[in-house]
Amino acid sequence: MPLKILAVDDSKTIRMIVKKAFKAYNCEVIEAENGKEGLETASKEKPDLIILDITMPVMTGPEMLEELKKDPALKETPVIMLTAESGKENVVQILKMGVKDYMVKPFKGEQLIERATKIVTLESKKGEEKDPAKRYFSIVEDLQVLTLPQKFDRPASVEIERYFKLKVEEMVNTEIKKFILNISRVGGTNVTLIRLIIMVIQSCQKVNVGIRVVGTSALRDELKGFAETSEITVDLSIEDAKGAL
Amino acid sequence: MSDINTVDLRGFVSGAMNEVFDTMLSMDLELAEEGVQANVAGERIVGSVGFAGKAVGSVSIQVNDAFARSITAAMLGMEEDEIEGDEEVHDVIGELSNMVGGDLKSRLCDGGLDCELSIPSITTGSDFRMETKGWERHERLVFRYQGQFALVNVYVKTNG
Repeated sequence: MPLKILAVDDSKTIRMIVKKAFKAYNCEVIEAENGKEGLETASKEKPDLIILDITMPVMTGPEMLEELKKDPALKETPVIMLTAESGKENVVQILKMGVKDYMVKPFKGEQLIERATKIVTLESKKGEEKDPAKRYFSIVEDLQVLTLPQKFDRPASVEIERYFKLKVEEMVNTEIKKFILNISRVGGTNVTLIRLIIMVIQSCQKVNVGIRVVGTSALRDELKGFAETSEITVDLSIEDAKGAL
Repeated sequence: MSDINTVDLRGFVSGAMNEVFDTMLSMDLELAEEGVQANVAGERIVGSVGFAGKAVGSVSIQVNDAFARSITAAMLGMEEDEIEGDEEVHDVIGELSNMVGGDLKSRLCDGGLDCELSIPSITTGSDFRMETKGWERHERLVFRYQGQFALVNVYVKTNG
């Protein structure tokens, strides 16, 4: 049975961020736009965890929490409060309300997961690699290989960039001085891909790491159409790239 | 209680903008020197939050339509062509102003200038001017990111 997480926030943006944060886990994220809707949904769905915003129209987070505590069936449901206000008095007020934890916006999805795992047990979905870096990076002989996923979009790019920076630091301190950026699986070019290719090439050059790009002939032709990547040589196999390094 | 005239509004807002854009959007903003004009002409969007109490005022973030769409895509983890409509863009810009305004409000409260924050509001269009009167402090901050601009206006006065 997946865990039920109820996200109560008047901002669709925040609800989407919460939803994405729990995407890799065996969870069902249910949404509500205000405290009143949140109470109704909580009564019906009996969530395992509630992520609750403070300032909302119709019924605020603290008002919903007060009602929740009066309901014998829901009073033990753990709540993580979200607030845009980090002031001392605000934090003290939140803790007095009897919530399990609180998060000050802005926050990253990973930070929310970190807090949630202290309260509930999150299980990774089958097939989801627990270490995201291993989904993209691998060592082949004396080479570091970064393989981009088929759906290469902005969230994937942000995640990959974060791990890439760490890999570059690692390469500076190890014997691995060759890097292959494998874009063969990527479904098509987009601005995010172009930006990442340029960033990877420039970063490798900066630390004297040899870099080659591996892709399909279709991707090679598409890259020629962008001013930023028109001069890049694309090898058609890892073997070709290894030979060129 | 802090004197509103000595509160470091520029420092607070600039810190909050950098933190919000870095954490939520992975965008490193650059604060332009004072006096630099922000190029946010054409279709633009303004997200604002107000606060009222011992300190009264507002924080607004103004960006042009193109930057608003980039911000929305970054915040929601999607490509710009996946944005379903204006509602998503408005919600994201409203949420950004809520985070920046929330941070400023907290700092004012910590300095004894207790106040409450409003829900964000959105203004869109191409031909409008914002005029305000009677404020004790007004700070105007211009931020740059890859050729785009974000203009932040902060107005504050003490109540009574």
